[in-house]
Amino acid sequence: MDGHTHQHTSGRRELQMARSMCWHCQSEVSGEYFCDRCVKVQPVSKELDYFTCFGFPRRLSIDQQKLEAKFYELSRAFHPDFYQNKSDAEQTISLGNSAMLNTAYRTLRDPIQRAEYLLDLEAGSVKDIRTTPPADLFEEILELQDTLDEFRASDRTSDTAAALRTQLQTERAALEQRQRDMESQLQQLFGRWDALQDRGEATDQARAERDRILKDMRDILSNRTYVKNIVNDLVATIA
Amino acid sequence: MAYSDKVVDHFNNPRNMGSFKKDEEGVGTGMVGAPECGDVMKLQIKVQNDTIVDAKFKTFGCGSAIASSSLATEWLKGKTIEEAQKIKNTDIVQELNLPPVKIHCSVLAEDAIKAALADYQKKADTK
Repeated sequence: MDGHTHQHTSGRRELQMARSMCWHCQSEVSGEYFCDRCVKVQPVSKELDYFTCFGFPRRLSIDQQKLEAKFYELSRAFHPDFYQNKSDAEQTISLGNSAMLNTAYRTLRDPIQRAEYLLDLEAGSVKDIRTTPPADLFEEILELQDTLDEFRASDRTSDTAAALRTQLQTERAALEQRQRDMESQLQQLFGRWDALQDRGEATDQARAERDRILKDMRDILSNRTYVKNIVNDLVATIA
Repeated sequence: MAYSDKVVDHFNNPRNMGSFKKDEEGVGTGMVGAPECGDVMKLQIKVQNDTIVDAKFKTFGCGSAIASSSLATEWLKGKTIEEAQKIKNTDIVQELNLPPVKIHCSVLAEDAIKAALADYQKKADTK
């Protein structure tokens, strides 16, 4: 039944696993999602990061086609439909792996989520660190929210409402431009990150550069969220 | 997931919404934000003789964030600076019955209190 076939595992050697022993036959599993000996599917380790899971280095530019191809390959390998006649243990692993794979794919596919995830891995959780918000941005947002309230409360047919709408439309255009600026700043930072990783230097200078890039990315990403929220409010109110 | 009655109450009837002039005598302003959800919170206190005589807030965010800051202003009124320092986000969580996913809203409110107090102190010291 469980023959010593290797055909299922070939081509998956680049994938690493943090665990090393097959849950089924206890033989050594040398870095694939399937045991070399008994061909049983292996649970993807929780320690495994999404980049490694897809066989990618920790870079912020990703070949979308390669990502998709790998996703389909692994989806087929783990899909619960193919485990219906297998043991309960294998069905559970197949479900767990599939769920992990889907989350990993969704995260890596989107550039912003990918960057947030990388920050998570490289600099501790972005979410745990309270970035001191730029006071001027907050002032601006609060002021805009006041204007929005004023507009909401106004008689829409009045001249005041018309003037407010024009003002809000101008603000919206300016904020959308700022969003685009932030996105191109992020793109630049992504490029700097990847270049730094490619150089692979271990100097103090490289470390300082690394920290600076991560911090700048985090700042832009959080400011981007604030701006995105206010733009959404603007669009919903004046549209 | 449903909001607790207390959250809904604060959301529908926010207490002390509004603002003071930032440069007004005895006013401390705290502005904080949650980068993960983009919520923005402004909380202000007005202090006379070491006691918070009035507090106001403006929050743009989810119901829990609004309720947390609304509750915070209620609690701040009448407290001394020292007492106000002791308000913890866990007190807010308990009072409002916030679920785990909304705990960061109470953290935001605590941060806003701390920021407002620090701002007041800074202004008082430089006088």
